[in-house]
Amino acid sequence: MPKSWIAANLEYKKAGYELLSYLATREGRLHATWLNPVDREQKDVSTQVVDNHFPSLTRQLPEVAWDEREIHDLFGYRPEGHPDLRPLIRTPRWPHDFYPLRTRSNIPPQWLDVEPDNPAKTVTGDGITIMKVGPTHAGIIESGHFVFSLIGENVLYLDAHLFQNHRGVELLLEDRTIEDVRRIVSRICAGDSVSHQTNWALAVETLARWTAEPPLALRRIILLECERVLSHLNDLAQIPAGVGFQRAHQLALAIKEYWQQGLKRLFGHRFLFDTVRPGEAAATTPDDLGALVRELRRRWVPWRRLVEAHHGFNDRMAGVGIVKPQDVTRFGAQGVVARAAGKALDARSILPLYDDMAVQFIQESAGDVKARFYVRVAELEESLRLLEESARRLRRWGSNDSSPFIEDPSDLSGRTVTFTESPHGLNVHDITLARGRVTRYHIRAGTYRNWPLLAHTVPGNAVADFPLINKSFELCYSCVDR
Amino acid sequence: MSHFKHALQIRHVDAGSCNGCEQELTALTSQAYDWQRFGLDIVASARHADALLVTGPTSDTMARPLTHVFNAIASPKIRIAFGDCAAGCGVFENAYAVHSQRQRSDLVIRGCPPDPEQALDALRNWMQRSRDSADGEIPRPIPNDHDQGSQEAD
Repeated sequence: MPKSWIAANLEYKKAGYELLSYLATREGRLHATWLNPVDREQKDVSTQVVDNHFPSLTRQLPEVAWDEREIHDLFGYRPEGHPDLRPLIRTPRWPHDFYPLRTRSNIPPQWLDVEPDNPAKTVTGDGITIMKVGPTHAGIIESGHFVFSLIGENVLYLDAHLFQNHRGVELLLEDRTIEDVRRIVSRICAGDSVSHQTNWALAVETLARWTAEPPLALRRIILLECERVLSHLNDLAQIPAGVGFQRAHQLALAIKEYWQQGLKRLFGHRFLFDTVRPGEAAATTPDDLGALVRELRRRWVPWRRLVEAHHGFNDRMAGVGIVKPQDVTRFGAQGVVARAAGKALDARSILPLYDDMAVQFIQESAGDVKARFYVRVAELEESLRLLEESARRLRRWGSNDSSPFIEDPSDLSGRTVTFTESPHGLNVHDITLARGRVTRYHIRAGTYRNWPLLAHTVPGNAVADFPLINKSFELCYSCVDR
Repeated sequence: MSHFKHALQIRHVDAGSCNGCEQELTALTSQAYDWQRFGLDIVASARHADALLVTGPTSDTMARPLTHVFNAIASPKIRIAFGDCAAGCGVFENAYAVHSQRQRSDLVIRGCPPDPEQALDALRNWMQRSRDSADGEIPRPIPNDHDQGSQEAD
C-alpha cells in the first residue's frame, strides 16, 4: 500500500499533527508516529519495506529528508524517489555491506583504510570560494564539518556534515535490561540529559501501566526546569561570545557556574546525570530550592539589564539569520528556533506532567538571532517562576512519597513513543521492549530537524555571521549523531 | 631543561563526547577557574599546542582527524584523556563505531564529566611533576585501574 503510506502521512501533516518519530525496524517495518497537539492522541502510520525498498516521503514532506537518509545508511532500506541520497552517517570507511541496525553479523566491522570524508556539495562558478571548517575546531566545540560556498563574503550554500561523533548508541542500547539502559540514556547529551532520562522513565512506566503521582511528577518538573535554566544560561552565554561581547559572555558563564554548583549540591551532579529513573527522581527540599532560585535571580537581573541596554549587541543580532515561518513548517523545526519564528509548539503544553503548572509559553515572530536570544531570556525567567511555584508546592505537600514502582519490571513488553520538551526542543524516544529487554531504541532529539533548517538559513548571510547564527540555534551534536 | 614547566598550551578535539566535557572545559577557561593563571589555555591551532586534549570515546569518523591533529603538534608533546569516555571507561565503550584500542595518554583525567576543580588540580600536579622530573623527560603516566590493557605500554 505505498500510496496510502504517503497519503496518510501527508494527511496528518496537513491536519497540524507533529511528527514524533520515523522508525525503521530490523523486521522491515516503517512507522511514522504523529501527535495531535490538541487532543494529545498519537497516530501510527506503518508500511512494510519490500525488497529493501520503500516509497520516500521526502519530496512531499521535506522534514524527513534526514530520517530517510539515516534509514538508508543504517538499514540499507532504499527510499525510492528521495531527492538526495548521499550518505548522512556512513563514511567511505564503512564496509559496503555493513548495515549495523539490520544485521549484527559483522560487528565490529572491518573499517576500510581510507579517510572518512564524504564528498561535499558545493557551488561551482567564477569567483566562488570554498571554505571548509572542521571537523576539528579552533576552540572548545563538538565536532562537525561545514563546507561553505562563498561569493565574496556572502554564503551561497552550506553543506553541513554532521555525525562525526556517531558512536552507534541506538544499537548499544539493544538487549539491555531496564537497569542497564539508564546510565547510557543519561549521557546521550549533556545539554538535554534530564529530558532523555525522563523519556526513558516515562516509557517504562507507560508499559508498566503505572503513572507517577503528583509528588514524583513535581520532582521531575523541578529537574526538567533546572536543566532548562542551565542549558539556556549556557546558550545565552555563547551568543555574546559570537560577537565578541566578552563581558556578557563571562558574566553569564559565572551565573551558569553558580547554578551548576547549586545543582551539584542539591541533586549530586553538575549536569543532573542519573537523577531520573523509572518510578523515581532525585529530590530536594523547598528551602534549598527556594534559596537557589532566589540567589540566581539576584545574579540574573543585572545581567539581563546589561544585555538589554547594549545597543551594539542588540543591533548586531537584529535581522541576522532569519528563519521564515514557512520554513519552520516545512522543516518541522522545534524548540526555541521554531518559537522565535512564530510557531506555538512547546511540548510542555501537551505533556500531562505539566497539566496543572499553567506554563506561560513564549513566542516571538522575527525569526532572527535577536528573537532566539530573547525567547531564551523569557523562557529562563518562566522556568524560574515554575521552580518557585514548585518550591511552594513542595512545602505544602511535605515529604509524602509516591506509591512504589513495580518491583520487577523484567516482564515488560511492547512499543511506546514518549517525549518531553528538552531545552533544545521536542525530544522523542521510540522504545520497544521484549520481556524487560530493549529490542529497538530510537532517539529523535529536539535538534535533529533544526540542523537542516540551519543549513538552509545561513545562505544569504555574511560568512562572518555564521558563528552568531550557529550559536543562536545552539544545536547539539551528540544527541543527533548518537 | 624540563618541558612544560610554566605553560601547557592545549588543542582540544572532541572525538564523540556528549558535550559535558566541553562545557566543563569552557568553565575552566572562565573567570571561575581561570586556568590561564597557571599557564594553561586552549589554542586555536595544533601548531601552537603542547598537548592534545581528547574528549569522547573516539568515534570511527573522528579517529583519523584526531591522529592528524596529534601529528601536527610539534614535539615534545603530550596527550591528555579528559573524561571517562576518553579514559576508556565511559558508557559508550562497546558501541560499534567506537574504537576500543586507543593510544596511550600521558595524563588521564577521570570523571563523567570531570569536575573542573579536580581537573585543574590534575593538570597542575602534572605540571609540577614535569618541573620535578629529570631533564627533558616527560612524566610517565600515572597507572590507572580503569585503563585499557593496551595503554599499559611497559
